[in-house]
Amino acid sequence: MIITCPYCGPRDSSEFVYQGEDGRTRPDPASTDQAAWNAYVYDRVNTAGEHEEIWQHSGGCRAHLRLVRNTLTHKISSVSMARHATVPRRRRKAETPA
Amino acid sequence: MSPRRASSGGLIDRSRSIRFSFDGQDFTGHPGDTLASAMLANGVSLFGRSFKYHRPRGVLAAGVDEPNALVTVLRGEAREPNIQATMLEIYDGLQVVSQNRFPSLGFDIGALNQLGGKVLGAGFYYKTFMGPVFGPLKGTRFWMFCEHFIRHAAGLGRAGTVPDPSRYERMNAYCDVLVVGSGPAGLAAAKAAAATGARVVLAEQDARLGGCANWSGGSIDAQPATEWAAGAAHELAGLANVTVLSRTTVWGYYDGNTIAALERVADHKATPRTGEPRHRHWTIRAGKVVLATGAFERPLVFPGNDRPGVMLASAAARYAAEFGVLPGEKIAVFTNNDGAYASALALREAGCSIVAIVDVRGELSAAARELAVRTGAEVLTGRAVTGTEGGKKLHCIQVQGFDVVTGAITGDARSIDADCLLVSGGWSPVINLASQAGARAEWNDRLQAFLPPKEAEGWVGAGGFNGTFALDAALAEGLAAGSGEAGETAPDPAGDLDMSPAPVFEVTAKGKAFVDFQHDVTADDVRLAHREGFQSVEHLKRYTTLGMATDQGKTSNVPGLAIMANALGKQIPDVGTTRFRPPFAPVSIGSLAAERYGEIRPERLTPMHDWHLANGARMYSAGLWHRTMIYGLPGETVEQAYVREAKTTREAAGIADVSTLGKIMVQGPDAADFLDRVYTNIFSTLPVGKARYGLMLREDGLALDDGTTWRLGELDFLMTTTTANAGKVMQHLEFLLDVIWPELRVHLTSVTDQWAGASIAGPRSREILAACVSGTKVDNETLPFMGIVHGAISGAPVMICRLSFSGELAYEVYSGAGHGTHVWKALIEAGKPFGLVPYGLEALGTMRIEKGHVTGAEIDGRTTARDLHLDWMLSKKKPFVGSMMMDREGLIAPDRLQLVGIVSLDNQPLNGGSHIVEQLDRDRPHGSVGHMTAACYSPALGRHIGLALVKAGKDRRGQRAFVSDPLRRRFGPVEIVSHHFYDPEGKRMHG
Amino acid sequence: MVDQLSPLAPVLTPGRQGQGPMGVVLAEIAPGSIVQVAAWAGQESALIAIVRDATGLALPDGAGGGIATDTKAAFGFAPGKFLLADQEEGLAAALPKAVTSALGTVTDLSHGRTVIRISGTRAEWVLAKFFAIDFSLPALPVGAGLSTVHHDIFAQIQRSGADQFDIYVFRSFARSFWKSLCHASEEVNYEVR
Repeated sequence: MIITCPYCGPRDSSEFVYQGEDGRTRPDPASTDQAAWNAYVYDRVNTAGEHEEIWQHSGGCRAHLRLVRNTLTHKISSVSMARHATVPRRRRKAETPA
Repeated sequence: MSPRRASSGGLIDRSRSIRFSFDGQDFTGHPGDTLASAMLANGVSLFGRSFKYHRPRGVLAAGVDEPNALVTVLRGEAREPNIQATMLEIYDGLQVVSQNRFPSLGFDIGALNQLGGKVLGAGFYYKTFMGPVFGPLKGTRFWMFCEHFIRHAAGLGRAGTVPDPSRYERMNAYCDVLVVGSGPAGLAAAKAAAATGARVVLAEQDARLGGCANWSGGSIDAQPATEWAAGAAHELAGLANVTVLSRTTVWGYYDGNTIAALERVADHKATPRTGEPRHRHWTIRAGKVVLATGAFERPLVFPGNDRPGVMLASAAARYAAEFGVLPGEKIAVFTNNDGAYASALALREAGCSIVAIVDVRGELSAAARELAVRTGAEVLTGRAVTGTEGGKKLHCIQVQGFDVVTGAITGDARSIDADCLLVSGGWSPVINLASQAGARAEWNDRLQAFLPPKEAEGWVGAGGFNGTFALDAALAEGLAAGSGEAGETAPDPAGDLDMSPAPVFEVTAKGKAFVDFQHDVTADDVRLAHREGFQSVEHLKRYTTLGMATDQGKTSNVPGLAIMANALGKQIPDVGTTRFRPPFAPVSIGSLAAERYGEIRPERLTPMHDWHLANGARMYSAGLWHRTMIYGLPGETVEQAYVREAKTTREAAGIADVSTLGKIMVQGPDAADFLDRVYTNIFSTLPVGKARYGLMLREDGLALDDGTTWRLGELDFLMTTTTANAGKVMQHLEFLLDVIWPELRVHLTSVTDQWAGASIAGPRSREILAACVSGTKVDNETLPFMGIVHGAISGAPVMICRLSFSGELAYEVYSGAGHGTHVWKALIEAGKPFGLVPYGLEALGTMRIEKGHVTGAEIDGRTTARDLHLDWMLSKKKPFVGSMMMDREGLIAPDRLQLVGIVSLDNQPLNGGSHIVEQLDRDRPHGSVGHMTAACYSPALGRHIGLALVKAGKDRRGQRAFVSDPLRRRFGPVEIVSHHFYDPEGKRMHG
Repeated sequence: MVDQLSPLAPVLTPGRQGQGPMGVVLAEIAPGSIVQVAAWAGQESALIAIVRDATGLALPDGAGGGIATDTKAAFGFAPGKFLLADQEEGLAAALPKAVTSALGTVTDLSHGRTVIRISGTRAEWVLAKFFAIDFSLPALPVGAGLSTVHHDIFAQIQRSGADQFDIYVFRSFARSFWKSLCHASEEVNYEVR
């Protein structure tokens, strides 16, 4: 599988680690709502289909990425940085191989 | 001249001879020969014994689809079993032995299994190894005893036992277009893709490029196809944007057009060049894949179809054209399609005599008739081969009337003498890779074969892969696939043979008719499976093991499916097909492991590593790190060494390398706030120049890791973690910053490798530092407990923090890693007058057990802060990660496993991993109330002690219990005590 | 000042391995300073400007953008993060004055990373044995950098010439990685300088 890191470009999946389902809301740190904490720590949707998930590019820039990946086809329809709203584009040299 | 080598022809190099041996007998061949072609040229037809029935087997195919001719290759002491003779290129000194025979290939005791055919049918193992369910043998070990012999009788080659001395390598490649297969379609695709300026990789599993162009005749661009292919191969090899990989089997097609291929770099050489691997594993990421993998000819299923001498028609043509080998003198042909007529003619022209062509069809096409006339053979239409005769070699076939619609056999059998029978049951496109990529195969009635879908993402097909067998059409498809432009649909060119077969897969008559040659699965086995209720194709496969051998059913899948469909009274597409999975062909384990094992596997060394080795250290691995176990003196045992080291440290001073501790720089305006959130205790109040011990929990409230964090500046903290958890803690913190609190301005950087760390401990440690540190004082006022000072040792800048793991007055001296050995040596030198000794991990562990400090053995992912008596670190003034989850019912239950100390009462050593029990039962160990996490001999106490996690351990202090360790046969009485064995008030380290 | 002891010292023996043309040349380049600078979100351009002033290097923006001279190098390896190297010592001491806490952070890695240079016509081939990276010139132009990993060995790599790459690895892995590089280079002949 190839994941296109917004900063590093397309990379082999072996450079990434799965960091769980996205879309979970961590309660406010001061919250004492036990049910909300339980839900955050344990509840997962586990969608068959378009699935929101977090991957860390641990073998690259180490940023966490938000992916939408179809769990039935492994097709990744979107990737964005969890922390950085925008990242600069990676430049390729504008020439063909010699 | 060899008995079966034609006087001319073939693409082998007749000017040179190669000597090799098979079962100890010497043979010769030529460069360009495979083992199969060279053996056939020598008149050998018996290659091995079959899997289950030990039937004599010859060679059926000429390439990667060969199910029968498997051999074991010997390389010195190493042996590699189950190599296809058809894929093994010979080289001088090659040593090969046959498989699954005893005592010899010619005389094999196991062949008696043939007599037990009914017993050894489908599901034999499942039925047998259930064992008797009633009677005197029920529940005994007798069946396991029998199993040993039964399993010994079945099988393929025997694996070697010595380490494989070969070198393996992994390689990454990127390309715009990957072309798999170098037949006419593949070569056309590669040339077209290269012309667009794209980066192209062309992978061919054989040594020679060209595929069927090398043997199936025809002409391309007004030259013989063989010459055209050689020219195209030469042209591609000269292009800078093309990488040609021959002897490279593409075996896996994964997501995102990630392709796995195995290049057999040096298997055809007696000795690889320096640095050259035997196999190279390629991971190719391709923009587009062109699948030009061709098609496999199918055998027909009829009694005796496995006798040596029975061969696929195309394989025989290939042996003649490519290797100049005549597979027989009197050749018969058995077919259900026109293709075999061309093969027969090719053999006739190479010098064989074609005695008969048996065709299941009643009517022949004009093209077939014309070819048949030119072969000079007797043509027997509406007939089928219903049996073969010959011991280890075919000598005649039985032919009877056959109704192509009903399959009924009619009339008396006629015997025809033949030493070789060519069979052709139609063609199956090699759609394995497309199937791996998720493509659903579609049944084509005309070709009686599964074809790939027309539309696909990521790949495009060309040639025989698409069921396109006409040369011009295949070339056009290759061109279109390579250039990326839609080609014109080539009309079915006249003159080319119609390859569509009659829908006949099996001739049902008396005798064993094999479907899967490699796993010895017969047509009757398939029907038996059906009768026993295994009607889904997936169940059929698993019950009969059809298609589950190393050849993955290349020749057997479709015939097996057809027989099953017939038994079910269904059409083939309604029965369905199984999805192909990687690997397409067997892959060496070595190529997958490559550099991950052996002397070049990654390892981490501390800055002082060489000093340790030069000073008697015995090292062991802690994860990837190499760490000192002990610095043994001559004649010392491990226990004597660590006891001496720990004792001397407590009495005078000791020094240990702690460079492996994880170190993370936590920097930024929100660093203190961040630490307050991730640690259970407060760090924002920590003054600059001081350190604090901290504990982290996971989100679920269990303990994650502990360590000290040093405030080096207002906004700069140096966090330390345990050695083993450094990576995990870093990831935990990065997740929180990136995903949960992106608003915090904090940067994390791994600086584990920036610093060398030396822990100097013991009552004399302060004097030692005072003797060598310049630029700062180290007295109690300047450097109190948990204080940090900066200075220099022997000219190198150092940072010293006064903290203790051993429980003694102790300091951690950090210097730049490049200065680590320099500073270490200066400390050793300064310590000499004070009796300083270096100590290893064993002594470190001993002293921490004596102090009851926890490590990864206790923070094991199941324990809470309270279980480990670290409640005092849980701040009530602020929330932190895990604070809302740590007090859940199950995590504060009184009967949880809690940390305790254990003292051996029989003065015998204790072991980590031993169970703690209330009552000892040596014969039936049971009733575990916990387990030991660490153990040592304590020089400070003069006893064998340890730490343990014990149910309701806090309440058991002062009680007697037992260790129960049935694996090591260690049982004995212990006392459960507080984990603080030594100096519980901590007077020594604060002194 | 005390010299740094290289982790490669006992295994780096200059000389040629193999007969014929050398496919690659391996060397340690041992910069006096290796410093990481990292900007807060939105401060990247300001940080790049400071790096230009402090080092005299015209560090381009753009992911992985970088520049290398005979004595200095700089490149981006992660969002807002840059690695700077200088043959001279002192960069780690000088930069914090310029990079204020409002802008970002400075982390000294002068001891923590070892820099191995591989050059020669077969450098891309040898590197492809280790990293799942497209090292072709169009994909990775001269000056550009990236972060990747070989098993557990994290590496930051800058292309410092048409067929020259500088590999920054954690010091503790350096010797092991060096041995692997030599092993992988045997096939193409190599020279150690």
